[in-house]
Parts: sequence; C-alpha cells; structure tokens
Amino acid sequence: MSLAVASRFAARELRGGLRGFRVFLACLALGVAAIAAVGTVRAGIEAGLKRDGAALLGGDAEAEFTYRFARQAELDWLLSVADQVSETVDFRSMVVVDRDGETERGLTQIRAVDDLYPLIGAVRLDPAMPLPDALADFGGVMERVLADRLALAPGDTFRLGEQEFTLRAILDRYPDNAAGGFGLGPRTIVLTDDLAQSGLIAEGTLFSTQYRLDLPDGTDLQALEQSAEAQFRNSGLRWRDSRRGAGGVEEFVDRIGAFLILVGLSGLAVGGVGVSAAVRAYLAGKTSVIATLKTVGATRRIIFQTYFIQIGVLTLAGISAGLVLGAGLPVVFAPLIEARLPIPAIFAIYPAPLFEAAVYGLLAALVFTLWPLAKTEDIRAATLFRDAFTASAVLPGPRYLMTIVALLAALTGAAIWFSGTVFLTLWTAGGIAGALGILVLAALMIRWVTRRLRRPARGRPALRLAFGSIGTRGGEATSVVLSLGLGLTVLAAVGQIDGNLRKAFANDLPEVAPSYFFVDIQPDQIAGFQERLDTDNAVSRVETAPMLRGLITQINGQPAEEFAAGHWVVHGDRGITYADAQPSGTEVTAGEWWPEGYDGPPQISFAAEEAAEIGLQLGDTMTVNVLGRDITAEITSFRNVSWEDAGIGFVLAMNQGALAGAPHSWIATVYAEQEAEAVILRDLATAYPNITAIRIRDAIEQVIELVGGISAATRYGALITLVTGFLVLVGAAAAGERARTFESAVLKTLGAPRRQIITSFALRAAILGLGAGIVALGAGILGGWAVSVFIMETDYAVIWTNAFLIIGGGVLASLLAGLAFAWRPLSAKPAQVLRARE
Amino acid sequence: MTDPVLSIANAHLSLDGNAGRVDILHDISLDVAAGETLGLVGPSGSGKSSLLMLMGGLEQATSGQVTALGRDLTAMNEDQLALFRRDNMGVVFQSFHLIPTMTALENVATPLELAGARDAFDRAQAELTAMGLADRVDHYPSQMSGGEQQRVALARASAPRPRILLADEPTGNLDETNGRAIIDLLFDLRDRHGATLIMVTHSGELAKRCDRIVRLRDGRIDVPMAKAAE
Repeated sequence: MSLAVASRFAARELRGGLRGFRVFLACLALGVAAIAAVGTVRAGIEAGLKRDGAALLGGDAEAEFTYRFARQAELDWLLSVADQVSETVDFRSMVVVDRDGETERGLTQIRAVDDLYPLIGAVRLDPAMPLPDALADFGGVMERVLADRLALAPGDTFRLGEQEFTLRAILDRYPDNAAGGFGLGPRTIVLTDDLAQSGLIAEGTLFSTQYRLDLPDGTDLQALEQSAEAQFRNSGLRWRDSRRGAGGVEEFVDRIGAFLILVGLSGLAVGGVGVSAAVRAYLAGKTSVIATLKTVGATRRIIFQTYFIQIGVLTLAGISAGLVLGAGLPVVFAPLIEARLPIPAIFAIYPAPLFEAAVYGLLAALVFTLWPLAKTEDIRAATLFRDAFTASAVLPGPRYLMTIVALLAALTGAAIWFSGTVFLTLWTAGGIAGALGILVLAALMIRWVTRRLRRPARGRPALRLAFGSIGTRGGEATSVVLSLGLGLTVLAAVGQIDGNLRKAFANDLPEVAPSYFFVDIQPDQIAGFQERLDTDNAVSRVETAPMLRGLITQINGQPAEEFAAGHWVVHGDRGITYADAQPSGTEVTAGEWWPEGYDGPPQISFAAEEAAEIGLQLGDTMTVNVLGRDITAEITSFRNVSWEDAGIGFVLAMNQGALAGAPHSWIATVYAEQEAEAVILRDLATAYPNITAIRIRDAIEQVIELVGGISAATRYGALITLVTGFLVLVGAAAAGERARTFESAVLKTLGAPRRQIITSFALRAAILGLGAGIVALGAGILGGWAVSVFIMETDYAVIWTNAFLIIGGGVLASLLAGLAFAWRPLSAKPAQVLRARE
Repeated sequence: MTDPVLSIANAHLSLDGNAGRVDILHDISLDVAAGETLGLVGPSGSGKSSLLMLMGGLEQATSGQVTALGRDLTAMNEDQLALFRRDNMGVVFQSFHLIPTMTALENVATPLELAGARDAFDRAQAELTAMGLADRVDHYPSQMSGGEQQRVALARASAPRPRILLADEPTGNLDETNGRAIIDLLFDLRDRHGATLIMVTHSGELAKRCDRIVRLRDGRIDVPMAKAAE
C-alpha cells in the first residue's frame, strides 16, 4: 500500500525532470562506464587469445622440456597421439657480425625449427617468401629491431656460435609469438639441423625444446593433459594446449584487468561522493515538500520510499548510460585498440563485464545515497519553515547504518569475487577507505583552520571572505576535498610508486648490478674465462656458479604443489646450483653448511625468506627432478639470498657431490667499469663463441619499459577517477552558485567591486584545491612509501616533480571548476537577486 | 531647498521578465534634501522598492537621470557604483541579507574592510555594542532572532557613516516590538550622524515620523510631495 502511494509521489516528483541530477547521472555513468570498458577490453582480449590459442601456441598442444630433447619413450607417446609433431629448440644466444675487421654482437632469442614449423598459423617475411626457402642452405630470418641494431640487410651474413648464416628476410610476424611472453632478445629463426656445427646446443647448455602437436579433430585436451601428466609428471615435461595457448599473457591480461577495475572502483568511490552530494542538495531543496507531505499525513516510511524510488530510477538510468558507454566505446574504437595491441582481441558486447560493472554501480550508488535518503526521516512537519535539514542529527538511524555497512561488505565481497584476488582487493578497498577517511578528516581540519584564520585575515576582505566561506558548515569544503582529493591521491600514489620503481631500476640498480650475465659457459671454459677477468683491473668482481635447472617435485614426501600451493618456487623449473665450501658472502641464518669435501647423502641449503614463506624446517626433505632424475635431499641450512642487486641468487643449492655429475654449464656475473664493458665482451665472445652475454643495462631498460606500460595503464585508470572528481567539483560549484550569487549581490551592495569578489571566489577555490592537493600528496606519499617498502621492497624517496604536479593540478582543477560558475554571481544585478529573496 | 543630496529626473525603469518586458517605473522626478527623511509608500507592486534600488544604484534606470551627491549614477558602471555605495550609502533590507558564512561582527566590519579601514573591527564592535548586541558579536545569522539580525544589518549599514541611508521595509519581517526598536535606532542614527534617510514602508505610523512622504501607484508618483505632518 505505502509502496504504491510512494511510487505515485515519486512519479510526480520525477516530472520535474533531471534538473539537479546531471552530475549524479554523469558520476555514476562515468564510474560504471570505466569499469565496463576495462572489463569489455579484457573479455575481448581473452576471447581473442582463446580463438587464436592454437596459433599462439604454434600447435593444438605443446610438450616442453628444459635442457634436453624428448626421450624416445616421450617422443613415441607424442607421435602416437598426434597427427604431426613439430620440434623446436629455444635458447638465447649472440648474433655475431664481422664487418670491416670489427665485430658486433647482439643478444637474440633463437627458435631453431624443423621442416614442419609452423604447424599452425603462418610466418610473414619481408621480402615475402616461404619460410622453407628463407631457411634453406643455412639461411635465417630475424626481427627488424635486431637486424637494424646490427645493420644487417637480407643477403648479409651473421654467425651463431661457430656457424655462419645468411639473413634472407626480416621476420615480420610469427604465430607462436605471445607464448614466450617477455623475452630479452629479439627473435631469430634458423633450422635446428643447421645448428649442428654451431656448438650452441650441447649437454648442459641452457635451452628448451618444444614439441608442438597437430591433434586429430575432437581430441579431448583435458584427458590428454592428464595422460601426459600421469606418464611423465616427474620427467620435467611441461604441458600446454590451445585452451590456454598464451597462458602467461592471459594471466598478465587478467591481472592487469583486475587491477585496473579496482582502480576503476576508486573512480566509482569519487563518483559516489558526487552522487551523495547531489542527493543531499536535492533533498535539502525538498525540505518544505517533505514537511508539507508529513503535515498532510505521509508517514516516514512513505517519505523514504518516495525518494528511494526516485533516486533508484535515476540510479538505474545512470548505470544504464554507463553500461552503454562502457560496452560501446571499446567496440567503436576496436580498430584503434587492435592496432596498438600486440595480441589478438575480439571486440564485442560481453555480458559478464557489464554485469560486473552494473553490480559495482548499484552497490556504490546504494552505499552513497542511503545516508542522505535516511535523513529524510528526520524532517518534521513542525519545522516546515525552519532550516530543519541541517539541524537534524549527524548520523542516520542504526538500521540504515547497519545496511550501509552490509552494502560495503557486499561491495568488497563482489570485488573479491570478480577480481579473484583477495589480497589486492582488500589492499585497494583499504586504500580507498583509508584515503576517504583521511580526506574527511582533512576537510574538517581545513574548515577548522580556515575558521581560525579569519581573524588574522582581517583587513583583507577577499581572503577573509574566502576563509569564512570554506569554514562554514554545509559548504563546499567536504565534497571538494573528497572528490578532488581521492582522484589526486590515486595519481600521487601511482606517480610515487612508478617514480621510485624507475629510480630503483634506472639509477640504483645499475650502480650495484653487474655489467653482464654470462650463461652457457662450459665446465672446461670456466677456468680460462675466470683468468681473463681476474687479470683485468677494470673488473671489480666476478661471481661464477654452476647452474642446472630442476623442478621441486616433493617436499617431505608430499607433492610440492600441495605443500607450497601457489608459491613461485614450486611453479615450474628453477635454476639450482651446487657448491662445496660455503661461498664467500653467503650468510647462513640457520643450520650449518656441509663440510668441505662432503660426499655423503645429498643436502640442500635453501633461501631463508622463501623457506619461511613455504613453512620449511631444517631436516625437511625435498625431491628435485634434475634432467629427469629425482634427487631427494635433506635441508640442512637456510641462507640469505639478495634479489635486489641482480647478482646470482639461487633459491636452492646442493652439495657438490649431489649434482656435479649431471651435465651442466656455468653462469657468471661480471662487475666492471662501464668503459671496459665492450672490450670484455669482445674478448670473451671471441674466445668462447658459444657463450651468451646479457647486458644488464639492456635488461633493465626492458623492465623499465614494461613498468612504464603498466603505470601508464594505471594512470589512465586514475585519470577516470580524476575526471569523475572534476565532475563532482563542477557539481559542487554549480550547487554553490546560488549562494555565491547572493553573497556577490550583498557584497556589491556594501561596496565591493567585481575584482574583489572574483578574487575571493578564486581564493576559496585555490585554497580548497591546495588543501586537497596537499592531503592527496600526503596520502599518496604514504601509499607510495608503503607499496615501495613493503611490497616492491625498494628504497623510497619522494618524487618532487610528481608532488608539485599533484598540488598544481589540484589548485588548477579547483580554480577551473570554481571560476566556471563565477560568471553568473558576478554579472547578476544585486537588486534582482536580493529582492528575489525578500 | 538646499542642493539636493539625491535627485531623480524623468527616470524610467523597465525590466525583462519571463513574460516579457515590464515597465516598473514611469517618468519619476524627485529631489531629496540633505538630512531629510523621506518615506516611500504605496500598495504592493507600485514600484517603491524599485525606486529605492534606483536611488542606491542597485538598479540602473532605463532612461532619465539619477544623481547622488552630485555624481551621475546612470553614467557609472557596476564597479563605480559599488565604490560609490561603499563611500556614501548604507542599505537596509526587509530580509536583512546578512552573509550567512560570517559572524555578526564580520558582517558589520565588511564594508569598513572594503573601504580599507584599519580599525574596521573596532568600529564594528562599537557599532554592535551601540545596537545592544555586544554579547552577539560572534554569532552567525542563523543563531540570531529576526530582530537581532535586523539590528546587525542596521549596524552594517551605519558603521561606515554613510551620508545616505536607504531602508527597504526594514520592519516588514519583524514583530511590533522589534519593529519599533529598529525604527527608533534608524531615526537615532539619522539624528546622530545627520544622514539622509530614505525608507520604503507599509507602516502608516512609521511614515508619519518622516519629514516627507512620496506615494507611488503603478510606477508613478501619486502624491508628489506631501509633508508627513500635513
């Protein structure tokens, strides 16, 4: 009964149109649109990866081995299940070019292939030619970036190890590109058979082999995977198939998408501030209507329902607009987005991300509107002509408060459910809540301070007016500081984290990081290698270690994936090492390093931090599969491993006797003066053509580029928050226009020229912007510091350029919004304004 | 009559409203002498307040001339008018029109501050004390009664010692007791500072206290010059 009456009342009120609700609708629509758009792009990429899964993988399925080719039994099984099997070998090496007595070298990721490559998809070459023709007679193709770096053109020759090749074409596109993910060297493709004399693929060198399968139609991939797992689980076979053809990329896109949606939620939180302010302003204007309705017999319930229905209808309208925008924009801009994406994507309308955005929008709207709506109950009929709305209690009734808390919990729960990451969601939710809390306190503080500053500002009327206006209750201070502050906080935090990470990689790391990593040094080469460096004064330090790859299969007899579920240490194969005496600089934190010359049962020294994360104890046993052989060893010590300086860090080290017999190579890190780097590389690469040098500076630049891409994406997300914040500012400025018009009229009557009035308006906008900027910077620095120190584990220093930009941006945004609505107050004739209020 | 402190010659005022252009005042000519008390009376909508606004430069005449203290208000722009009011006029409204974000003291000090008075707050304090509001100086308008607010408005208008005091139905929103108190204060101000007082009122009793009454009807002066005592 009451709902029907309330619906009729609501419908009547809605006849008034959307006046006063433009900011409400825009805030909600923008927040929902941002989330829907990110979700739609993510779904599009996932659909693209799924569609092209086989091409991205280079086959319907792939079996991969590290350091070795498939054994006969494995090959037999692969051939028995597939129509065709194509073998490729993947490893890092140096492309060497001799020209006019000079030698140039470039790091490359080699894909050595057979005649069947590519099993699925096609290679595109420039000039166009079939791949077999390009690879015949010791031919090779490479990506343009590498050819350009080495000034190679088709027809030129280059060396890989001891073998000479002719560059026949530039590699424009190849199908199994995304599967490799993030690599350090541009790709070169040659035939595996042609590498026989190169000296590059030998026992113990770092390479992996992939067996791409062309499976009969209708093959049950799940069953096949299980069968492969059952037979070859402990032989180091790694299975992938077209269901997740680009597993790493898919995971990356998924993570980044989840993260950006969480950033989008901060936009919705800012929008919520605008939504709340709009509802509050609307209901304040309805005080007399509500009081009148109560006078004629409307109950509190009817009043609440009337406005709840109205706001509900508008909320649905805002969400719908956001969904249309969020779903439509990626589709409209599909050609543009596709051109910039290195991976396939199918842009269409996907219901799942739209549902997710709608849920967020609905819950956020409820959270932010329920508070002001609940306060309609406080308006009494008897206060018809009094300022009852502002005089009511600060908090709404307990049942509303509990509902708001439940809605917040539901919002967080939904975010956890949709993003799939509890940790990141709780951190983000906590961050948003914390920032909002800080900003509310800051707004109260700014009001308190400006109220007290009025006295010192006496004699400067424009400034005193500005202080008075900011300090007043119910003014713009809270919504301006909240809306602008939250957007700026996100931007400040991203800027501080990004800046510190870049600084760590670009400035700090090269100072402590080695010049080169050398890999694939054969055991018989290590002595000579070491000698060349020991006699060089420009070399400050050389670290060498034998390296093998091993897969931790069991811990205390239990499958390692169960014992340490989700930990990276048990995910795939790891680099492991051995040593006899305790290497200098190794700090044992618990237990004891095995005695020199120890030749008893295998022992393990494990990285202390990772051991603590997994829950390992001294005396635990661990089974490691090395080149198909299981070695079970007891953990007898833990030691500190530093990952920060890019030196050699092995999670797992064994005693020499346990591993020395296995084929392996050595790796080395060389710390040298920058000027001497080129000579060292030339000498070592000439003496040992098979070894591969990785210049740390190049690797760091790649990481910086990747970090830059992620922070750019985050900045775009934060920008939405800022745009929403600006909308809220505009809304607040628009809502305050009437008050400013009146104030301006009175001031003109008292003798204030327009310059003085606009100065006062500008001052109050600038002070609020400055306040929001400073608080945002404080919160951003706090967030940046916490993430840098506790999550990234890098040093932290305030990035001042970013800090000044944030403060300047805050002042500018506030000024723009404030002054955009200054024209009417300034131009209004005082007589008309004042008489209208008589 | 000595040189008029305020002179209106053939003034016409039209305003653009939602229903089109409306003629508010027709061919008004009027002189007000220094120190004189003039009451503007007439039925609602007759143009009394509009005429007062014209005199204060708060409304610009569509045609004709308004001269105050020898200065042609119709030739001034908005800022020049504001500065002229700051130095020469005080205005009191029916609805007080105090700035809600300022305390009583700040409201009263504002015109003095705008004029650059170094002792603005001391003078404002003294003015409020004289109005019997010494204990209300730090109160905001919303914390005061209507009578108190109008006394603050009066203090604000009189604090700069204007030569012309304009009051638009200053007792219209007040009960009888408060209304009488405000009128007493207004006339007391006139007596003490020798200002010219021009007042719009519906109150016959108040009109009788004026030196002269001008009655308006349909935007025209109905009874051009009638002595209140007559």
